[in-house]
Amino acid sequence: MNAQTKVSRRVEPVTLTVVWNSLVSIADEMGGALRRTAFSEAVREGEDFSTGLFDKDGRLIAQGNFTPGHLGAMPYAVANVLKYIPPDQLEPGDTLCTNDSFLGGSHFPDFFLVTPVFEGEEIIGYVVNTAHHVDVGGAYPGSEAVQGVTEAFAEGLRVLPVKLIHKGEFDQDILRIILGNVRLPDKVRGDLFAQRNANHVGAERFRKLVRAYGRDAFENIIEEILDRSEARTRELLAALPQGTFSFEDQIDDYGPNTPPIRVAVDVTLDEAGVTVDLSRSSDQVAAGLNCYINYTRAYGSFAMRIFGKIDVPNNAGVERVIKVVAREGSFFNAVYPAPSGGRASVQVRIFDTINGAMAKCVPERVMGAFTHWGNPKIGGVDDSGKRWIMYDLIFGGFGGRSDKDGVEGLAPVMNCNNVPIEVHETNNPVRIHQVAAIADSCGAGEFRGGCGVRKDVELMCDTATVVLLGDRHKSQPYGVFGGGAGALARTVLVRDGEDIDLGSKEVRQLRRGDLISFRLAGAGGYGDPRKRSAEKIKRDVADGYVSREKAVELYGADPASLTS
Amino acid sequence: MLQIAFDIGGTFTDFAVRDSETGAVTVWKVPTTPRAPADAVVNSLRKKVSEGGLVAQDVGDALHATTIATNAILERKGSRCALITTRGFRDVLPMGRGKRYDTNNLHLDKPHPLVQRADIFEVTERLAPDGSVVTALDEEETRALVGRLASGGYQAVAVVLLHAYASPAHERRVGEILRQLMPDCMVCLSSDVSPKYREYERASTTVANAYVAPLVDAYLTALTSSLHQLEIGASLSIMQSNGGLVSAELAKTGAIRIVESGPAAGVLMCAEVGREEGFDHVITFDMGGTTAKLGAIDDGVPAVTPTFEVDAVNYKKGSGLPLNITAIELLEIGAGGGSIARSKMGLITIGPDSAGAEPGPVCYGRGGTQPTITDANLVLGYLNPGYFNGGAMNLSEGAAEAIERTIAKPLDLSVEEAAWGIHSVANANMERAMRIVSIERGRDPRRYAMVAFGGAGPLHAARLARALEVPRLIIPRGAGVGSALGLLVAKQKIDLAMTSVLRVDERAPAAVAAIFADLEARVREQARLLNRSGRLVIQRSASMHHVGQGYEIRVDLPEGEIGVGYDEAVRAAFYEAYRREYGYNDHEAAIEVTDWYVIATVEDGRTSVPMKLDVPEASGSAVTGERLAYFPEAGGMVPTKIIDRYALRSTDRIVGPALVEERESTTVVLPGDTIAITPAGNLMIEIGAA
Repeated sequence: MNAQTKVSRRVEPVTLTVVWNSLVSIADEMGGALRRTAFSEAVREGEDFSTGLFDKDGRLIAQGNFTPGHLGAMPYAVANVLKYIPPDQLEPGDTLCTNDSFLGGSHFPDFFLVTPVFEGEEIIGYVVNTAHHVDVGGAYPGSEAVQGVTEAFAEGLRVLPVKLIHKGEFDQDILRIILGNVRLPDKVRGDLFAQRNANHVGAERFRKLVRAYGRDAFENIIEEILDRSEARTRELLAALPQGTFSFEDQIDDYGPNTPPIRVAVDVTLDEAGVTVDLSRSSDQVAAGLNCYINYTRAYGSFAMRIFGKIDVPNNAGVERVIKVVAREGSFFNAVYPAPSGGRASVQVRIFDTINGAMAKCVPERVMGAFTHWGNPKIGGVDDSGKRWIMYDLIFGGFGGRSDKDGVEGLAPVMNCNNVPIEVHETNNPVRIHQVAAIADSCGAGEFRGGCGVRKDVELMCDTATVVLLGDRHKSQPYGVFGGGAGALARTVLVRDGEDIDLGSKEVRQLRRGDLISFRLAGAGGYGDPRKRSAEKIKRDVADGYVSREKAVELYGADPASLTS
Repeated sequence: MLQIAFDIGGTFTDFAVRDSETGAVTVWKVPTTPRAPADAVVNSLRKKVSEGGLVAQDVGDALHATTIATNAILERKGSRCALITTRGFRDVLPMGRGKRYDTNNLHLDKPHPLVQRADIFEVTERLAPDGSVVTALDEEETRALVGRLASGGYQAVAVVLLHAYASPAHERRVGEILRQLMPDCMVCLSSDVSPKYREYERASTTVANAYVAPLVDAYLTALTSSLHQLEIGASLSIMQSNGGLVSAELAKTGAIRIVESGPAAGVLMCAEVGREEGFDHVITFDMGGTTAKLGAIDDGVPAVTPTFEVDAVNYKKGSGLPLNITAIELLEIGAGGGSIARSKMGLITIGPDSAGAEPGPVCYGRGGTQPTITDANLVLGYLNPGYFNGGAMNLSEGAAEAIERTIAKPLDLSVEEAAWGIHSVANANMERAMRIVSIERGRDPRRYAMVAFGGAGPLHAARLARALEVPRLIIPRGAGVGSALGLLVAKQKIDLAMTSVLRVDERAPAAVAAIFADLEARVREQARLLNRSGRLVIQRSASMHHVGQGYEIRVDLPEGEIGVGYDEAVRAAFYEAYRREYGYNDHEAAIEVTDWYVIATVEDGRTSVPMKLDVPEASGSAVTGERLAYFPEAGGMVPTKIIDRYALRSTDRIVGPALVEERESTTVVLPGDTIAITPAGNLMIEIGAA
């Protein structure tokens, strides 16, 4: 390690290492407790949750290694709720709660629970977790519809900070209001219980850790951790070529018959660190897709973590160096009551666009564009009268990378498991007809992109609503350094034997026997396809990812060398 | 009658022979022969027989722990196999579950597959979740497909159809066609190997089984015949990942079940040591050259988990191949004697990469340049440079220089402080793992004893015990051949599992009775192939959760007749387990079972005589001298007693700091702890007793 990271020594290295590792492990342990007891698929399969530890001044000191989606919101969570309910109104056993888009996770399904940790009468820190609930009411199942939602008031229940838990027990009045407004109250209730438990686990260990070192020493250690994190992040970013790097991409639209949304980024690396500016993007839209600044920060910050190879865990020190901004009122810094339920659809594009900009700065660290992902919700009432929501996650491919191919079926940017077919069919009135890689959809390249994925789902009850959350129906995932673009995505409704093309963010009523076919785009390639090794081309043809014809056409393969 | 046990590890093959009348146990080890692992066993036994050290005809049992299945997977040297699946679902296996094992890494890959996409084929058929037929199996198409496969050079074919856990009918029919048209090929059906829902994990398990089955079959057949050539007529039993033995015949039918054979046997040894010393609750700590493994024994029984992951990257969860097999619960982390220490950002980091055996730690003098945990332990005075591995190796000087260069200078520490930093950061990593195994899983460490073994285990165990307030630490005799000793105390055991999602309410008992009747009939059928007869003790358990949750906890269920009110007992068992794990109960949410299990153990009525190990004789005072060793609580490098373990008498009671030396390891005893040797020959350390 070079001398730049040798900052002042207030704490000896062994203690510092042990305390730092303990803080991260407490945040991870909270996440473990939350995931294992959670009810909603988004939390338990999708890991769409986050945990964090804060010092007494509300600064983020450690965050669990879960979805990047809350990297942006978590650092501000404590400060935001304390504006409503200041520390002098808190007592041991209290937990505050909000799901506000601006204060929290950028759409209503994300509930933040903030618990002060007390030693005697005094607050010594805070433990926080946030989880994506399956439904918070509003116009459509899952509360994430894009089409037909013009204001946040149609997106369900908004809870500004309240004391949800008092002396360790839920406030039954508030709980009744929440559960009275959602489609699946049992799941929401179960997940709130799981969230309480996660904070309980975290608070206990946090208190023990502070006791073990004493409060003064602990506070010293925290300062050291934040300072070192800042110094390390600065050092890593300073090692990159300096300057401003720009790129533009787009999001298909914000519902049927609407124009594309421009996504434009300027990444500036200078002595201050890095600024990721999305101000040149489109204005906010009257559809449930906008990003509040916390969400923009999350994925902007995640992208810089990747391209800067930032190897310190996220905390307030790192946040001092990575700035993510957007013009107020623009798509990436929307103003209330802009609707934002479907903002998850945008995360991949934030990353892709920064990736395009950074290709000029760190070519070996970028990749071809992702295939995007599908995050449809299908919901209704089944033949037995039970209300259901099928929350699905469909992953396509990774773009080609500087030294290896992309991959099929791996989670892009955010990090989730898919939901098993056998689990979906056991819980919901659906039959899944196929899940398959789409041959020849991948962008060609010395390192090819991953193939798109097709998933066909048939409705097995009278009626249901499908809320689509996809993209790349209109613009192909780009390749880099001569790599080809991936094939476009389609979403097709097969009704009475007829194919009907749907928009990527449409809401549709379904009826029994309808089959909805999600066909994700292919991912972009990396480098000149003519440089691809003959062995890899042969393997792709044998495995059926690339046809003989395309192997000859795009890669110049010798037809005699290919078996299929 | 004699029982011989042999455990083939990566470096050494360990043997233990027990005389079942006297309890006398002889142990020895020879280098492993990696290309033909059975050679080391057969050659060493032949030598023993010819030297008169072993009478072949007296051997009644041959017990074996093997890494053959693990190595076939880790080295990707298994069989050429194909997979047949439901039309439309060829990509379930190649795609997997989608989650990256490291969120902040977009350059990662999935595990290299055991079967290529080109070797995955589809047949037309479809079942519903309840097992009913949606689309009948297209037999003509299946025959045509198998006809083509017959010329493909496949040694094994896995069959994994959607919802086959609910009905094996279609898989069985495909299996029949395969056996008919490809008689020399092994056939593995998911409904036999792992009838549990979640198609990716079931497919992964079934394919892994097909991948290793031909090798395991050939290996066990050859080993059996070699033993017969030595006139050892004993039946051969194999250790499974679940900690039970099965006949070689049964092991061949479920080859993937023996994947964690050796480590499972090590935990059994700890259970036996716990039993000898009167402890039912034991935390096991095995630290070797590349990793540390932690496990637990509750009420005398090693904890097991219903799933296992093989070939993980840097021991990261989710990076390997998931297997639905019951395995003794072990948490493995990248902290072994050879784990490499570095300074980064003004901190010390350890592993997960290891210098391994070659080049090994710097102090081995074989070209290693990066300091390891072992190098730190040498600098701290814990290791005796002249008596490493029983004197078979001299440790060289380079350790201090390497630590100074890479850790001490950059961090502005003295060499001793830096070495202490390495030692204690390694301890902190293991403490985190131990916390998961104990507190996070509902075990209060103050109620547990720790049994530590492996080459590096006894060097670190006392600090770990202190950190978690474990009151007693036991360093067993024969720790260097722990898995072989574990085999001697293992029982014959079979486990079966199936998925059937069922709400726990007053209508449940009839369905529960039918499920267990089916599982218990199947387990009895298999038990006839075991090497011992005796009373079959059947234990029931189930994976359960609240309706709507996605993760289950495994709960033991009551024995006996299943009638009205059994649902009440099931609920009570769930609430207790749930509270233990998560700290609260929710009585309003409905409860559901997803998977059902039976474990059948043969109680053969043999009373085992306590094991008496042959150990080197030593006379005179146990305290053989002193050297400087690092104890920060005593002020740094302080003169420390050296104790010869083999000279310890039952009347000796020694207070730390001390270093207890034996052939395979050194035990660090902290100031304030006391040591004594027990009648069974184990080293007992009372933490903070002085």
